[in-house]
Amino acid sequence: MNWPAIRAVVGKDLLAVRRSKAVSIPMVAVPFVLLVVVPFGLALYARGHSTVDVERLLDTVPHQLAQPILSLPQREQLLVLVNGYLLAPLCLIVPLMVSAVLAADAFAGEKERKTLESLLHLPLADRDLFVAKLLSAFVPAVAISWIGFLCFAITSNAVGWSVLHRIFIPTGNWLVVILWVAPAVAAFGLAVMVRVSARARTTQEANQLGAAVVLPLIFLAVGQTTVLLVVSIGVAFVLGAVLWAGALLLIWRGSRHFTRDQLATRL
Amino acid sequence: MTLAIETRDLTRSFGDAVALDGLTLEVEPGEVLALLGPNGAGKTTTVRLLNGVLKAERGEARVLGLDPATDADEVRRRTGVLTENAGLDERLTARENLLFTARVRGMGRAASSVKADELLERFGMADKANLMVQGFSTGQRKRLALARALLHDPDVLFLDEPTSGLDPAATRDVVDLIASLAQDHGRTVILCTHFLGEAGRLAHRMAVLHLGKLRAFGRPEELAAELWDGIEADLDLGGPAESRMLDAIRAVRGVLEVTATTDGATVRVRDRKVLPVVVAALVGREVPVYAAVPRPPTLEDVYFAVEARTLAEEAERAAR
Repeated sequence: MNWPAIRAVVGKDLLAVRRSKAVSIPMVAVPFVLLVVVPFGLALYARGHSTVDVERLLDTVPHQLAQPILSLPQREQLLVLVNGYLLAPLCLIVPLMVSAVLAADAFAGEKERKTLESLLHLPLADRDLFVAKLLSAFVPAVAISWIGFLCFAITSNAVGWSVLHRIFIPTGNWLVVILWVAPAVAAFGLAVMVRVSARARTTQEANQLGAAVVLPLIFLAVGQTTVLLVVSIGVAFVLGAVLWAGALLLIWRGSRHFTRDQLATRL
Repeated sequence: MTLAIETRDLTRSFGDAVALDGLTLEVEPGEVLALLGPNGAGKTTTVRLLNGVLKAERGEARVLGLDPATDADEVRRRTGVLTENAGLDERLTARENLLFTARVRGMGRAASSVKADELLERFGMADKANLMVQGFSTGQRKRLALARALLHDPDVLFLDEPTSGLDPAATRDVVDLIASLAQDHGRTVILCTHFLGEAGRLAHRMAVLHLGKLRAFGRPEELAAELWDGIEADLDLGGPAESRMLDAIRAVRGVLEVTATTDGATVRVRDRKVLPVVVAALVGREVPVYAAVPRPPTLEDVYFAVEARTLAEEAERAAR
């Protein structure tokens, strides 16, 4: 692997993305709303309604989720239920969205900006170029997710402190979700967009294809994230590994179509 | 000595369309080859095949002795390509575009910086170094892209329309630069252009492609000798030649063809020695001859003649 060249491509892509308002603003604004504004508002509400009886609500959720909540003092239940469990999917939507948007920019965007041909004339092996483009989307997606989660945890703990007097996020399962599952979800979004971008001529087309066809299915799966917080850490780890395997399989299949010849044929 | 470029039966199709059909040619080191042809002739496909960007489905190629099919990265390390579209990242500055390419090409940070600044200066872009490419004119983009193609001092340069979008002064500078790269620095240049005057000034040899096939390859004067008998000359008679004058010219042995022009006549003679005889014949009939200038065919004349011959052959084939 030609790592200096890969670093150069990744560095160039990240610099370009930072300068593109159309890409960078959603990259910051959406995670801010999902991981700071929404948790802040809901935590404030939950704190203000700490005497609400959540037992009826917990009747509708799986026993494994209800059990740890019901074991808490009543004034803590709503806050822990909402911020400690129910908002978990938001933490996985962020890596999915960021990786998908950046992958569309990195792959289809080169075609749209007519910069792909000059890139193909550089002494950079197909595999190195593919890896560089993957990293251009994956690294910021994971970084934004982790920073976002840190903000989410700080916000939730700060708002809940007056009720709980302890840090309730992250738990061990949360750490598995954030450190192991979130990168896998980012890789999944990336894998989907690599395939979609190969067929699309513009970033917008790639985003539309991805958003309309495949990503909704992944969003549905991500919606089940709360399950990962109530199973044992080992099971959560295995579920993450399954996700990783699927993502890597898709990326490997995508890499077979990522050859100079195929890219140049579609120029 | 290793040829700069060598192809044998190089062929590539896209679906049912044959983009390049059996290209065979050789280019000497330090030579400027004009790769000519209308849009869709196969020029860009040739450049992509020679740089290992596309794979040939038949035939073989060598660039500096390397096979682009198997040593593509090594080939690209030693070639520089200016694509028809400048292909610069608009979200980066001029300098950042050069530095990025230099880094991918394996140049050190300090060397990249020095070389980028040197080229920006050379192409009159130093004052634009830290401006985003987004606001650049076509000419500025072309100059920057040309600078990028020269960053690593390539042995072979592929230049696709290097002067399109440039003003006359910048065009002259680029043409001088290309000539200097070949003459003074021994670089081989493959020049794809529609500007035939520019190609005529720079190219040692020309290759004419039409619908993927090589229709002519050689020095313009060699191709002219194949296309036409003798040489052409302009006779300045102070006005259009009258029929008696044309008859007098036709009567001279060795005159192949004569046509009246606004200033006199254009005459095609078997060789240069016939020309003084033509002048003497006119003077003997008291026709004033102000000038008799041999006009060797230009690259442009040859190109259009090859195109015309190709179209005639195609029409004939279609009629059969």
